[in-house]
Amino acid sequence: MRHSFLDRYSDLGSFIHKLDPRTKVITTFAFILVVVLTPPLRWQAFALYFALIASVVLLSKLPPLYVLKRSLVIVPFVLFITIFIPFLKPGEVAGSYNIWMWHISHSGLLILWNVVIKAWLSMLSLILLSATTKFAELLKGLEQLRLPKVMVMLLSFMYRYIFVLVDEVIRMKQARDSRSFGGKRTWQLKTIGNMVGTLFLRSYERGERVYGAMVARGFEGQTRTLSSPHFRMADLYFAVAFLSCLALVGFTIIL
Amino acid sequence: MHIPDGFLNIATVATTYAVSAGGVGFGLRQAREKLAEKHVPLMGIMAAFIFAAQMLNFPIVGGTSGHLIGAALAAILLGPWAAVLIMACVLIAQCLIFQDGGLLALGANVFNMGLIASFAGYYLYRLTTRLMRDDRRGKLFGSFIAAWGSVFLASIACAIELWVSGISPIKMALPAMAGWHALIGIGEGLITVGVLRLVLATRRDLVELQRI
Repeated sequence: MRHSFLDRYSDLGSFIHKLDPRTKVITTFAFILVVVLTPPLRWQAFALYFALIASVVLLSKLPPLYVLKRSLVIVPFVLFITIFIPFLKPGEVAGSYNIWMWHISHSGLLILWNVVIKAWLSMLSLILLSATTKFAELLKGLEQLRLPKVMVMLLSFMYRYIFVLVDEVIRMKQARDSRSFGGKRTWQLKTIGNMVGTLFLRSYERGERVYGAMVARGFEGQTRTLSSPHFRMADLYFAVAFLSCLALVGFTIIL
Repeated sequence: MHIPDGFLNIATVATTYAVSAGGVGFGLRQAREKLAEKHVPLMGIMAAFIFAAQMLNFPIVGGTSGHLIGAALAAILLGPWAAVLIMACVLIAQCLIFQDGGLLALGANVFNMGLIASFAGYYLYRLTTRLMRDDRRGKLFGSFIAAWGSVFLASIACAIELWVSGISPIKMALPAMAGWHALIGIGEGLITVGVLRLVLATRRDLVELQRI
């Protein structure tokens, strides 16, 4: 079992961890929505959003460095997109720069800034959500927020078996690498094809066994759980405080 | 191809969310009508399978690597609606656990890699196996076309969404995304062929499962 990368800090016991998952999902969604809607030139707004999310990170006792490191996963996509962005409206003269042979336009840079800051802030809030909430609890929250029941069941089965299958993949990779994974590219792809095929067969057969075991224990198409998360006063305080901060920043700066 | 938040404008976010939610809802209804309760655990595990299979990177050109999407594979084995549900689960988990793809962009990601990729894969497979014969060769060739086409079309949808959001001009985004994914698609295609060949050789019955 080498998957500490899943759910790593979700069992810390901070104020934020103890909140109802619904509160966290809704505030996260609202935060991302407001960030995405903010016009790019209002840089003060982005500074305040950052302050808001940073203070929640501090409150959650997550290691800030971990959050920062995780937020770098957006880099590849940003890089891919940004290759084009500076060239976006090359006709505009005002405030454009010529660096070496590239003609970088002002509006292109503005779009770049717009994307990068919004993507990064949204990423921070998503990391906060997933690092402070266990996936099982998150699913319960989503179910209470009217995600269809079958979908919730699919997701919870999936989550349960991700660990098993990821282990399987890691073992297969090790076996492959210890037998030297070299050769031509087509050979490598063929090897991966066989690995995925084997993984499929094993997963499918495991699925059949799991279903058999569940039926033997009285499964009839429904899952039942004993506890469901409660919406407490702390949730109300947090939601009101967070959302009013957000609204305040939104209204005073944007308007 | 997982779009993060901040890249799409609100109109695109709302449209793709609506279409994807409708698609997943319809898929759920199809599953409820046509599948037995047995299929819920099975599909959950298939989603975990696609998730795990996406961890296997393959080299493309230079030092870059890509990974399987798996929508075409799921669609060929279990049918397009099942593939939509499976991909939606995979994408939701990737968004909420790994922040791979944004929360507001989830609708667009489910649209590209779920709806578009699954249906493109499924119908390309059907078409090829009908044009050629539905024997081993036809199936293998069909699965290559299906997997390649699913990646290619999904990347085009992705480029169009970015263009509509005003992030990049279509003249640059489309050839770059489509060209790059035409390469990745070859990898996806060859791997899918490999999977199908193995399944045909070992458990042929799994290729003739009930599909939805």
